[in-house]
Amino acid sequence: MTENEYPLASGAAARNSDAIGVQAMNERAIVRNSRLTRATRQLQDEALDGLIAASNGLNNFLDSNAVYVLGGVRPIGESALVLDRDGASTLIVTPAWDGKRAAALSSTDDTIGTDDLVATLASVVGTHRLDLSRTVSVGLSLLGRALLDRIASALRTLPRTADELVRDLARVRTAEELAAAERATWIAERGYARLLEYARPGLREFELAAELYCVMKKLGAEDNFLLMSASQHNLAVRAAGERILDVGDIILSEITPCYRGQFVQICRTTVIGEPRPLVREKFAILQDAMREGLAAGHAGARVADVTRAINGVFQKAGYGDYCRPPYMRVRGHGLGITSDRPGDIVERNERVLESGMVFVMHPNQYIPESGYLMCGETVVVADERARSLSARPAQLDVIAV
Amino acid sequence: MQPSIMLGSSMWAQDRLPQDEFALRLDDLRAAMDRQGWPSVLVYGDAREHAALAFLSNFIPRMRWGMALLPRTGEARLLCAMGTRDLLAMRAMTWIADVHSGWGPEWEKAFDPWIAQFLGERTVELGTLGFDLMAPALHEQVRRSLGDRFRLQRADDILAIPGSRKRPRELMMLRASCKVLEAATKAFADSWCNSQEPESAALDAEHVARSLAAQDVRTLISLDGGRTLVPYQGRFEKSAAPLVGYIAVKVLGYWADMFITVDDRSATPASRHAEAALDALIANVRPGARSGEIYANAIAALQPFTLHPVLGASVGHGIGLSLHEAPEFRAAGETALVEDGVYALQVGVAAAESGQAKSDHVLISAIARNTAKGAEVLARSPAIAAA
Repeated sequence: MTENEYPLASGAAARNSDAIGVQAMNERAIVRNSRLTRATRQLQDEALDGLIAASNGLNNFLDSNAVYVLGGVRPIGESALVLDRDGASTLIVTPAWDGKRAAALSSTDDTIGTDDLVATLASVVGTHRLDLSRTVSVGLSLLGRALLDRIASALRTLPRTADELVRDLARVRTAEELAAAERATWIAERGYARLLEYARPGLREFELAAELYCVMKKLGAEDNFLLMSASQHNLAVRAAGERILDVGDIILSEITPCYRGQFVQICRTTVIGEPRPLVREKFAILQDAMREGLAAGHAGARVADVTRAINGVFQKAGYGDYCRPPYMRVRGHGLGITSDRPGDIVERNERVLESGMVFVMHPNQYIPESGYLMCGETVVVADERARSLSARPAQLDVIAV
Repeated sequence: MQPSIMLGSSMWAQDRLPQDEFALRLDDLRAAMDRQGWPSVLVYGDAREHAALAFLSNFIPRMRWGMALLPRTGEARLLCAMGTRDLLAMRAMTWIADVHSGWGPEWEKAFDPWIAQFLGERTVELGTLGFDLMAPALHEQVRRSLGDRFRLQRADDILAIPGSRKRPRELMMLRASCKVLEAATKAFADSWCNSQEPESAALDAEHVARSLAAQDVRTLISLDGGRTLVPYQGRFEKSAAPLVGYIAVKVLGYWADMFITVDDRSATPASRHAEAALDALIANVRPGARSGEIYANAIAALQPFTLHPVLGASVGHGIGLSLHEAPEFRAAGETALVEDGVYALQVGVAAAESGQAKSDHVLISAIARNTAKGAEVLARSPAIAAA
């Protein structure tokens, strides 16, 4: 062990109490431990010796972060988690100085902060006495080649990839995760309310994005995949740029805050000044598509069915030829960083929806007469239909000038 | 904390980085192609690290990855891991006109025909930059497309791109980043003095930076009197301890960062030694100075205090298109500093646990350009003692 390593035993209920509320921490620990327990059970069922999860430090809003799902810590840098068939677990984070924070949040038995992930991982694998021929990995494939090569060299082999394991394990949100998603949606709606107050002619897009981003962060959003752009005739949404807003601009926003590891997304369309009647008429098609999607998104339905229900509305309105890129991308998608299940909402996805799955449904669409319009909500799958987490469904909003 | 996407402005700022600037930047690359016999170099970057890609193409992946296919002669192509819907926005981020999606099924359509122009009777060698960062799945995709007709050669060791010596327009960009940094740092300190809430202060600083078009802002604060630093927690609680924090801003691709310590009491021995060590660092920056020698002088000035562990036994490093560039200023560092290199100089004091007050944890820094006459300070932490 180098002098830069800080072994910090977790089991850290008492010590954790100054970092987060004791009750919240205990609830989190229970959730995370249940995922660790289920992962352990899966290792035993499949006669596996252990699991190595890795994160490259990126928090992709479309992807599962295995270290977060199993360890409960959003890593700053590259990190790994080792779980053995007896249920013993160790979290390794970089840089070394992040060890204290990680230990306070982690549900693993041990937490190590290090500046040398490769050597520490090799040491921990040895401590857990893993037989790598009977060990699986999750997330190693996200690491850069050079780092992966060094890990392979240190371990003398790489464990078999099982990248689906964690996203399957976490595909249905727990009650705590759903509550966090609901809170995140509340934050997103407050962010959008701020857009309606703050946007005005003369403001640059990035200034508006800065305001929204910081308002939502103040409300608890730890991250935000925020796309927000404007045009008199949008071809798509993009990240904010230097454009100066003006009367007649249609502002598209894809507001995607993350709260306690739960990304959600709402998609909104806002016009500066009174919109043309035609824009209202076309936006109503998106609202109809959303209603059809919600009705189709019940437990037991296939993702393809939901997609067809949404596309059907556009086809009926005469825009069937536009239900493909570049006129739209997908009709929604799963949300990280716990699990991106059920995946993209596209016609080729035959995955069956399960009660408690969460995803964003967005019949966003380019329409020649109006340009690209956005209407989307984060939804949770229920027995009868999908339920939107938003308090106020998307409408064509107007900023008076 | 790496964000899920970069905000701010990422458009190609042609007034500051015109096309001829990139023609000059490509000269070294083309000379290397001539020497190595490479008809093309493939340059990879992702949302985390993209210095070479941004230097040569101006393209900064907001998420996922990008790859510039740069030929010795002929038209360059840029592939990005975005859907076809997003290509218009991607085209506005680079001087390369031929931009394609390389994501998923689009890869073969975009990569294979372009690379086929170099097919010959013998195996063709291509240079690569940044491929160490590439995820194995994409590398396998590249390998499949190339088959046995091409062989990849790592160019990272042959070419220092971007180089340690900043180009004049890079220095202009770094000055602009430092201006944003100083505005944000001032907000950091002012907000803390008004609220005594470290997280609110960090958020106010971030707001200022983002309102000035920063693409990325990273902040850290201490909740334990400066002993450790943590990213955003969402607690927004008051703290009686002095403010110890960190902020990094990225503006049009270029990073500037700063540690900040604000204590509303008079200066302590620790803060005086930290300031002296930072002065020593700045005084020792000159062309040819060795990184290890600079480290030793800074550590001597800190005595009897020891270097803060958050700094990882280093008192600085290069900065530019990467937040953390070579060389690292460590005890054993032998790298000679170059003229027009830009360096983040960082010192800090970790008080001994026995007897010393929490307020004795100090972290401060500066950004300096190395000139023939010595250091030109582009940014420096505000004075520790606010009172």
